Amino acid sequence: MKTAPLNPPASPPRKTYMRKLMADIRKDWDLYVALIPGILFLLLFKYTPMYGILIAFKDFNIFEGMQASPWVGLHNFERLFTTPDFVKVFKNTLIISLYKIGFLFPIPIVIAILMNELKNMMFKRTVQTIVYLPHFLSWVIISGLFIDLLTVNGGLINKMIVAMGGEPISFFMNPSYFRSLVVSTAGWKEFGWNTIVYLAALSSIDPQLYEAAKMDGASKFRQIWHITLPGLIPTILLMFILRLGSILEAGTEQILVMYNPTVYNVGDVIGTYVFRIGLGEQDYSFSTAVGLFESIIAFFLVVTGNYLSRRFLKRGIW
Amino acid sequence: MAQTESVTRPPASARPSGIRTSLGEKIFSFLNYTLFVFLALITIFPFLNLLAKSMSGEAAVVSGKVTLYPIDFQLGTYLYVMKDDMFLNSLKVSVMVTVIGTALALFMTALAAYPLSKPRLRGRKGFILMYIFTMLFSGGLVPTYLLMQNLHLVNKMPVLFLPAMISVFNMLIIKNYFESLPDSLEESAKLDGASNLAILFRITVPLSMPVFATIALFYAVHFWNDFFTSMIYINDPKLKPMQLYLKELLVSSSDSFLQENKNPDSALNATPQSIQAASILLATIPIVVVYPFLQKYFVKGVLVGSVKE
Repeated sequence: MKTAPLNPPASPPRKTYMRKLMADIRKDWDLYVALIPGILFLLLFKYTPMYGILIAFKDFNIFEGMQASPWVGLHNFERLFTTPDFVKVFKNTLIISLYKIGFLFPIPIVIAILMNELKNMMFKRTVQTIVYLPHFLSWVIISGLFIDLLTVNGGLINKMIVAMGGEPISFFMNPSYFRSLVVSTAGWKEFGWNTIVYLAALSSIDPQLYEAAKMDGASKFRQIWHITLPGLIPTILLMFILRLGSILEAGTEQILVMYNPTVYNVGDVIGTYVFRIGLGEQDYSFSTAVGLFESIIAFFLVVTGNYLSRRFLKRGIW
Repeated sequence: MAQTESVTRPPASARPSGIRTSLGEKIFSFLNYTLFVFLALITIFPFLNLLAKSMSGEAAVVSGKVTLYPIDFQLGTYLYVMKDDMFLNSLKVSVMVTVIGTALALFMTALAAYPLSKPRLRGRKGFILMYIFTMLFSGGLVPTYLLMQNLHLVNKMPVLFLPAMISVFNMLIIKNYFESLPDSLEESAKLDGASNLAILFRITVPLSMPVFATIALFYAVHFWNDFFTSMIYINDPKLKPMQLYLKELLVSSSDSFLQENKNPDSALNATPQSIQAASILLATIPIVVVYPFLQKYFVKGVLVGSVKE
């Protein structure tokens, strides 16, 4: 350190930096060794596919391989915007996502506020245990439950419809019901679990505020309006921003197990389309282009969302 | 003005509104409890209906008579399912993938998290960014598929867990937990000449059992429930995990399929529907059994990981 000012400024600081770096690494060498498996994992399973995105700009042929396949520039993206199928799929994705946000985003907030008013802890905990459960089951199981409940061959709902004088409805095959089916089953699966974040936020509201409001004679409704809701708003905004970030993910796994050719027109979304075109029809280059298009939009939505939330709410996802 | 208001208000409003709110609150409370009973019932009902169907006779199921209790009670469907080779094999695959996958993933994730939890690590920010970037952007379905093909992992069991060994989300939860442990423990071990890895395995790991339990559960539930991976990479019937097996079972008994080819299965006193119901319930049992005991870990894990201040 003492000799540093005497040295010419250009190269030696770099040298001492390198030396210090090497000394630090040598001192903690096993810490750096522990880093290796994870980094190799990332490079192989996460970053190699990112390199593979190049096939979106090629006419990829599996026999010629990635290197030998000819470049086609933006041809696949031109195809993307001129294929009626893609326009339809993009529209479906947005519609289903917006339905899900519009109908399903507010529900856990309301339920959390009401749940917070349950004073019997035993009851509250039992209800929580029950309504959290569907979150832990796969979409295969959930759709199995609803196929059984809604089938025209002895499904309970259709039996009720018939009893009330209606015609049985094949919910899984009827384009006018399919989106509602997707949105409501998603609501059924997650409404309980999604309350958790809000319940945590509620428990951090100062109880003295409620005491003071009670002293002032504020009704339950006014307490909720003036204390509970304002206390929840940062969390609500944060969750909303995060939710908007995944607007192009309309529920690929869910729809993949629930849909069938009769409802492709209303139910096919970007995720399921890529799956069918890419792996089913093996149109590798085009489906990679579709996937890339989605990834890029999603990336910017999430990054912008996180920036906004860091800026205005002072917290973010990273 | 403000002063007089604050002086006059409490006596003026406290007494009358005290009576009014207590009645209003009673009504509210009653409606609120009713609402949650209703929500709990809505959640349980499809399971009870399925349970009743799985234990009912064929005719009763198809005619839609079965609601909450079995009609023409039988357990033949369960015997049938549990003797079914396909079902048993898929169960074996699922158990293996879940056990091996969870163990490997927990090890890899904790190992990756440890160096990143040390502020003295050179290039720490860059490495963390490298992890986080993969949460925000990915190669997508087809390039990933082609990679697995090049690695000769398609139609091999390891493809069901190897690509999922480190979930960045889980890694960050463990990293945050490691960071919350007191430095003094590490310093005193350092003075005794312990290496970093020795500290990890002898001091940090034993102290981190709560977070490991949570993350192991996250992984186990993920591996047990995952059907998407197997749908992409597995064709071999011997390697299909339970979720994929169930998915194909569901498709074969769904309305759209039945409309095309009518095949009433009447080998037993059981319909495809009741067999399907029994299979679904059997696949659900592991989760339903462990879940209530572990619920608090799940909740804690989500809250730790969801938001960073």
